[in-house]
Amino acid sequence: MSPVVNAVIAAAGLGSRLGLGLPKAMIEVAGAPLLGRLLSMLEKKFQTIHVVVGYREELLIDYCARQHSNVILVRNPQFRSTNTAQSYALGAQHLKGKTLFLDGDLLIEPRSLDAFLDAAARTDLLIGLTEAKSENAVYAQARFQSKPEEDLEVVSFSRDVSMPYEWANVFSGESRTMAGANGFVFEHLAARLPARAGLLELAEVDTADDLRNAVEFAQRHGL
Amino acid sequence: MRTAHCFDIDGTVTTTEILPAIASELDIAEEMATLTQATMSGAIPFEASFRLRCAILGQVPVPKVQSIVQTVPLNQAILEFIRTRSEDCFLVTGNLDIWIKPIVERCGCGLFSSQASVDQGRLRLHSVLDKGEAIEKLRASGDFGRIVAVGDGANDCPMIERADIGIAFGGVHAPAPGVIALSDYVANDGEALCRLLSTL
Repeated sequence: MSPVVNAVIAAAGLGSRLGLGLPKAMIEVAGAPLLGRLLSMLEKKFQTIHVVVGYREELLIDYCARQHSNVILVRNPQFRSTNTAQSYALGAQHLKGKTLFLDGDLLIEPRSLDAFLDAAARTDLLIGLTEAKSENAVYAQARFQSKPEEDLEVVSFSRDVSMPYEWANVFSGESRTMAGANGFVFEHLAARLPARAGLLELAEVDTADDLRNAVEFAQRHGL
Repeated sequence: MRTAHCFDIDGTVTTTEILPAIASELDIAEEMATLTQATMSGAIPFEASFRLRCAILGQVPVPKVQSIVQTVPLNQAILEFIRTRSEDCFLVTGNLDIWIKPIVERCGCGLFSSQASVDQGRLRLHSVLDKGEAIEKLRASGDFGRIVAVGDGANDCPMIERADIGIAFGGVHAPAPGVIALSDYVANDGEALCRLLSTL
């Protein structure tokens, strides 16, 4: 039993598919930026939160200075040529202990995150899954063991074969989990499958359709 | 591996700028704040601006300056961090040794600063610190395997650039863009900064 003690949020990416000219984490859903929503939730649970910034970093730095001054911003000046795995490695570089890694473009239903963190305390590596719904899903082959919810396991990832669950862009593990990783986060995690999985209710904002869905998601869950 | 921690004073260790506080004695605090702000943002070269500010503030007797500096509030978390690691902490400031003495005494750590003396009642400026050279000196001492630097103003750039890990501090005001561009981290709160320093 070792609880998650840090959070690392990747918010360095361009968000070019949405074409709003903003870092995706700064996109507002129902009046609040995605990053602000995540931080308000995470600040209640973690003292140490690192946000990795790159594209238009000044917007995120300024926003955090005004609204979330406890957060440490980690700069990834190579954001144009690196991906989320490298941002995670950079963000967690000097941290110790179990760490929650998550994308900055997620809208997460808080109770599902609570349950995820409870489960994360009981296992070295917990991979977040959600019901498949996004346009560019990375599907996850998952199986329940004896007790549903308790023992969900992810066996493999696939971009081609449609399955009920997809990779949620959230996981918890030792702070060095992504050290030296190349490629995509799920590819790096694939080397450690099968692994425990935790279900999250969330909306990822990647495309204009996603954004519309996220607004509905926020309304449905009263966020 | 021993790590040296280098801190800018104005707007990092102190929660207000020192020179405008001294200038209030001459009733020109706002003018001094404007000049200081333009300098911190990098719009005016540090050394020229600092010499000018010394020429103006040199009118205030040094004991008076020190009594004002004594009352400048310090960031408590940073002060505590420095005091518990005084052997490994250094204040690195363009400010004058004879002016900031009360702060150095409160911190009880090492110092790199500009230097001045009083000659027949007149302030004599001997040298203006290049913060980059301070880091070089510290490295040349061979005492430290790694140097971490924390600052907010344009004159901190050479220090941040030469350090192994640079942190832009925005606890008092937004760090100069040039400082951010050279830093690995940005911290906007003293306690968060000290937690980060402890993990590095």
